[in-house]
Amino acid sequence: MINFEEELKKFHPSLEVEDAEEAIYNQDLTDMADLLVKIVKESGEQESAE
Amino acid sequence: MFCYQCGCQLSEHDFCTACGADVSLYKKIMFVSNRFYNDGLEKAGVRDLSGAVNSLRQSLKFNKNHIEARNLLGLVYFEMGEAVAALSEWVISKNLRPEKNIADDYINMIQANASRLDSINQTIKKYNQAYAYCIQDSKDLAIIQLKKVLSLNPKFVQAHQLLALLYMDGEQWERARRELRKCMEIDRNNTLTLRYLKEVEQMLAPDEGAKKQPARRKSEETLRYQSDNEVIIQPLNVKEPKSSSMSTLVNIGIGLLIGLAAMYFLIVPSRVAGIRSEKDQEVRELGEQLDAKTLEIQDLGSQVDSLQAELEEKKQELEGYAGTDGTLSSMDNLLAAAADYLETEDVDATAQKLETIAGNVVLEETSESFQKLYNTLLGIIGPGLAKDYYDEGYRLYYETDYEAALEQFTKAVFYDAENVNALYYLGNTYRRLEDYDNAAAVYDELIERFPGTDRARESQKFKNEMEAAQ
Repeated sequence: MINFEEELKKFHPSLEVEDAEEAIYNQDLTDMADLLVKIVKESGEQESAE
Repeated sequence: MFCYQCGCQLSEHDFCTACGADVSLYKKIMFVSNRFYNDGLEKAGVRDLSGAVNSLRQSLKFNKNHIEARNLLGLVYFEMGEAVAALSEWVISKNLRPEKNIADDYINMIQANASRLDSINQTIKKYNQAYAYCIQDSKDLAIIQLKKVLSLNPKFVQAHQLLALLYMDGEQWERARRELRKCMEIDRNNTLTLRYLKEVEQMLAPDEGAKKQPARRKSEETLRYQSDNEVIIQPLNVKEPKSSSMSTLVNIGIGLLIGLAAMYFLIVPSRVAGIRSEKDQEVRELGEQLDAKTLEIQDLGSQVDSLQAELEEKKQELEGYAGTDGTLSSMDNLLAAAADYLETEDVDATAQKLETIAGNVVLEETSESFQKLYNTLLGIIGPGLAKDYYDEGYRLYYETDYEAALEQFTKAVFYDAENVNALYYLGNTYRRLEDYDNAAAVYDELIERFPGTDRARESQKFKNEMEAAQ
């Protein structure tokens, strides 16, 4: 049985055109490749420190 | 594929041939990203848009620089009615690759048409308003608003789903199913849509009604079935109340009374008004006929008066001609004069009677036979009489008795119009009596009738002398 209140929580307001700029700036664009580069870089720094 | 450290083109080896960096893990990440992109592309091809969104987002989590994946994600968002999300993806894509990027075309397509962009924004605002109504529990307003949204953007999946949810809450299962079907046409494998549809189908399945007793709490007293596009709701367990024959008779009586009253108040007044107007028309026509007859009578009356007056005039005229015994006196006198002359040949008596007739009638107005008899008689006795009157007048003229001479010469001319001497002396007598107008008239007649004669020349001379003297 569908519970209206619960189901309503799954919906959310849609982005308006005025909010597009803010949404683009706030979007987290970090991907797995960035994480890999970061990990490789940090491990390299640790090795050089040791 | 390029090295994440130096940016050189990578080979089939697990290390960069330029900088020597280990790229085996990096290559696997790129492969996974591509794998998700392929999956998303495949799902988008069969209209599994929500599945495509998931795959493409996964692809971009592995490789944010996957431009094709990002552009495709924007397209899928746009197809689902999420225009702003689509624009966001395309803008990021254009930033990552400014040149030779199809996202540029997509952005221009939307931005070039200002009214379309405004329509998209209005649609989103209305959807957000509808969502706010749902939160405030104003479900009717939310339904109205969502219908407006879908009329502007029929591919807005989220709006279809929210509207279906509102219908389901109102137990309008058929309408909910219709909305969910529309969702399915846009996005075929949306989990939320499928779940709602399953619920709706369960509610509408007639053979599973026994299992769904609690859910059909409001509809158990009705029978619903589909006929074309209409949902027929037939109430069940409703019985017509039985009535006795007495109450039936009473109802018939009341119905008859109401019918009679309706006829009295509605039909009779209009009928009466119709008859009244017909009668008024008849009265108007009769009045017009009466006026016409009155005018005719007046015309006839005036004709009668004029004819009466004419009759009186003719009567008086006739009385002038008629004698005491009813015959015409002038004709009688003329016949008597002719008879006397034939019997006695008495010229004087005949002349006297002819003079009497000439004094009483206008010769030109008498009948043709009257004139003929009169002129014949006058022609017989005229010349002799004229000579006698001329001789007597001549004698009196030279005795300077001009008054007496005038009478004699006048009679001489009367009885013989061709006697030029009588006419000449008549003019001279007028001249002697200083009646110059008559003298001139007689001289003119003589000059006209006897031109070239001595009398005419003398008359002309006397006339000139008179005119000179005047």
